[in-house]
Amino acid sequence: MRAVGFFSGPVGFGIKIVLLALLNALVLWAAGVLVADDKWIAAALALAATALIDFVYLYPSRRLVPLKYLVPGVVFLVAFVLIPIVSNANIAFTNWSTGHNLTKDEAIVAIQEVSLVAPADGKTYAATPATQDGELVLLLVDEVAGDLYVGSEDGLEPLPADSATVEIGTITAAEGYDVLQGNELAGIDTELAALVIPAADDRFIRAEGLSLAVELQPTLEYDAQNDTFTNVETGTVYSDNGEGSYASAAGEALEPGWRTHVGFQNFSTVLTNPLYRDPFVRVFVWTFAYAAISVFLTFALGLFLAIVLNKPTLKLRRIQRALLVLPFAIPAFLSVLVWRGLLNDEFGAINQTLGLDIPWLFDPAWARVSCILVNVWLGFPYFFLVNTAALQAIPAELQEAARVDGASSLQVFRRVTLPLLLVVTAPLLIASFAFNFNAFNNIYFLTEGGPYGVEQSIAGSTDILISYTYKLAFSAGQGAQYGLAAAVSIFIFFIVAGISAVGFWRTKSLETVR
Amino acid sequence: MTTLDQTEAAPVVRTAEVRRRKSSFASDWWRYLVGLLAIAFAVFPILYVISSAFNPVDSLGSTGVIPEDLTLENFRAILSGSPGEEGTSEEAIDIPYKNWYVNMIFVSGSTALLSVFFGVIAAYAFARFRFRGRRMGMLSLLLIQMFPTFLAVVAIYLIVLRVGDIFPAVGLDTRLGLILVYLGGVLGVNTWLMKGFLDSIPDSLDESARVDGATPTQVFWAVILPLAAPVLAVVGLISYIFSINEYIIASVLIDSTDKFTMTVGLYSFINDKYAQQWGTFCAGVILAAIPVVILFFFLQRYFTEGVTGAVKG
Repeated sequence: MRAVGFFSGPVGFGIKIVLLALLNALVLWAAGVLVADDKWIAAALALAATALIDFVYLYPSRRLVPLKYLVPGVVFLVAFVLIPIVSNANIAFTNWSTGHNLTKDEAIVAIQEVSLVAPADGKTYAATPATQDGELVLLLVDEVAGDLYVGSEDGLEPLPADSATVEIGTITAAEGYDVLQGNELAGIDTELAALVIPAADDRFIRAEGLSLAVELQPTLEYDAQNDTFTNVETGTVYSDNGEGSYASAAGEALEPGWRTHVGFQNFSTVLTNPLYRDPFVRVFVWTFAYAAISVFLTFALGLFLAIVLNKPTLKLRRIQRALLVLPFAIPAFLSVLVWRGLLNDEFGAINQTLGLDIPWLFDPAWARVSCILVNVWLGFPYFFLVNTAALQAIPAELQEAARVDGASSLQVFRRVTLPLLLVVTAPLLIASFAFNFNAFNNIYFLTEGGPYGVEQSIAGSTDILISYTYKLAFSAGQGAQYGLAAAVSIFIFFIVAGISAVGFWRTKSLETVR
Repeated sequence: MTTLDQTEAAPVVRTAEVRRRKSSFASDWWRYLVGLLAIAFAVFPILYVISSAFNPVDSLGSTGVIPEDLTLENFRAILSGSPGEEGTSEEAIDIPYKNWYVNMIFVSGSTALLSVFFGVIAAYAFARFRFRGRRMGMLSLLLIQMFPTFLAVVAIYLIVLRVGDIFPAVGLDTRLGLILVYLGGVLGVNTWLMKGFLDSIPDSLDESARVDGATPTQVFWAVILPLAAPVLAVVGLISYIFSINEYIIASVLIDSTDKFTMTVGLYSFINDKYAQQWGTFCAGVILAAIPVVILFFFLQRYFTEGVTGAVKG
C-alpha cells in the first residue's frame, strides 16, 4: 500500500506531468513537420487531439476519470485499426494499382516527363550537380556557345562568368554554390532524375548521368482548359476516360494513370470477369473446404483422444498431456516450416522413413491433403484440452441414467454425450472455423499457395482467400492490384463477420456488453 | 518407457485377482496404445528438428532420422551470420539471424507489454466505471476486435508508406512502425479478454479499499492489478505469440534483411536453401522456439484454464 501511495501522491502526479509534457513536445514537433509539408489539416487535428488529452488528464472532474483510462487505448484503436479499416474500404472502390499510383496532378506531370525526347536541334550542356541552401541545382555550360547557367526547378538563370571556375569546359566551383563531390554524388540519382529545369520554348533540361544535361521537348502537350493531352507529332488528342487515364478515341491510354474512384468495378471484376472470377471461385470453395475439414478433423481427433485418455485410472496422464500439448506450445510458423521439410518429396523424412514416394507438396490433390494434415497437427491439442474439460463438466448422472435405461455405450455417446458436448463447444468450433479461414501462414509457409495449374492466374491450388489477397496486392508477377485486393479482403471480412455473428448468437458475448 | 512395458505385458495377465489390482493395464492397454500413437504423431516433427539440428550433415535427408554423430556446428553456423560452407560461394550469404532474434524479442515484447498495459487500463474503465457511452464503447470494441488487422494490409501499407514520407521514424522499413501496427491489432482483443476477467473480480474488494479512502488510481494499482497479474501474463503471452507468428504485415512493411522479424527472416532463408542448409535452419528453429515454449509451460496452468474456461460452464 505504501508503494501505491508513492505512485499516486506527488510522485505519481509528477510522472503524469512528465509524460504529458513529453507527449505535447512530440506533437508540437510533429505539427511543425506537418506544417512544413503543407499538411495543415493533419497538423490542426493533431494539436486539437493533444489539447483534448491534456484537458482529460489535467481538469479535475469526476466525470473525466473513466476517460483517463480509456484515452490511450482509444487513440491506438482509432489510429491503427479504425482508420485502416475505413481506408481499406475506400481503396476497394478505387483503381489503385501499379500504373495508377499517383494523384491526377502528379500523373499529368509524369506523363509530360515520360514524353520528353531530345529534339534534333536540342542543346547539350556540361553539368555539375551542386546545392544552393540545401536545394539541388545544376551548374551548366552550354557546350557550343560556352555560356554559363544555373538550372533549378524554377528555371534557367545566367551565371556571371567571373563568379565561377571553369576547367576543361566544366564548372568546378561557383560563388554561393556547394559543388557536390565524391560520396555526396552517390545517392543523388533519383533526386537528379527528378530535377526537370524549365527552359525557353516549352523545353526542359534534364541531367543525363552526373556530368551531362540535355534539352528535351515534350511530345505530349497538356491543355489545362480542356483537360486533354495532344501529341505534338501526330495530333492525337487524349482525354480523361473517367477510369484514371488519358485515352485517345481509339482507346489507347497514356502511362501513367492516376488513382480514382471507380465505383463497384473491383467487386464486379471479381464476380464477373472470367480472368478473376474463376480463380476466385476456386479459391473460395477451397477456403471453405479447408477450414471446415480442418475444424472437423481437429475436433474429432481431439475428442477421440480426450475420451480414450480421460480415464482417471490411467497412469502417466500428466506426462502424456504435456507431450500431446507440445505442438500447441511451439510458434506455429516454425512448425509449418519444419513440416515443409518433412514433406519434401525427395529428401523429406516422411517419404524416406516410410519408404513412400508421394509428391506431398507438388501435386494439387496431395498438397491439399498436406495442408490439412499439418493443420490437424497444429490444432488437435487445442480440441484435446477443450474436450477433456468439457467431458469432465458433463454431469455423470445423465450418462448414468441413459445406461440404466438400457442404452449401449455407443448410444450414450451419440444421444447424450455428443449433443451436450456440441452445445458447449459450438462457439469454439465457429471461432476455430473463422481462424482457419484466415490461416495464412499454414498455407503460405507450406506450399506458398502452389502448386500452380496451367492457367494464367496467381492463385495456386492451395491458395486460400487471404493468401490470394496478399498475392494480388504484393506479388511481383502481375503488378500490385491494391484496389482489387482490398475488394477481396472486404469479401473475406463479410464472410468472417457473418460466421462470427452466428457465433455471437450462440454465446453470451453480447450479454456482457451490458 | 514404463508405459510401453506395461502395455506389452498387459494382455498376458489373466487371473481375476491380479486383474482387479491391475485392472487398468489388462483392460486399458489399447488406451495406452492410442496415447502412444498420438504422442508419436505430436512429437515426431519436434524430435526430427532436434536430431537435425545436432546432426553434422547439414543437408535435408542425406542421413537417417537418428544422427550418427552429434555437433553444435549448426548452432555456430546460424549464429555466426554466414552459415554457408567455408570457402564456397554460400559462405558469403549474409543471414543476420541474431538481428532477427533481437527484432523478434523487441517487436513482439514491446507489442505484448504495451498492449497489455493500455488494454488493462481500458478494461478497468469498462469493468468498474459507469459512464455515458459505455455500452456504445463496448459494442464498438466488440466489433473492432473481430476484425483481423491483416485484412486491411493494403491500407496499412499505403498509410505507412505516406506517413513515412513525413515521419521516416515510423514509416516503411522501421520496427517502430511495425510495433504500432501490431499494437493496434492486438489491443482490441486484449481489452475484451481482460475486461471479461476484471468483471469476475468481486466488486466488494475495491469497495473496501474505497471505504478506506483509496482513489480509483490506488484501487487499480493495489487491488486490481495484483489480482489480475496471471491473466495479464497470459494475455501478454497470447499477444507475444500472435506477433511472433505474424508474417503478412511484417513482410510488407519491412524491407531490409537486418530489420526482418524472425518470421520473415527464417522464411526467406529457408525459401532460398531448403535442402542444403536444413540442419542450420533447424538450429535456428530451436533457438527461436525456446523462449515461447518455456513461457508456455511456465504459464500452462492459466493458459489451459483460459482455453477450457468457456466449456466448463
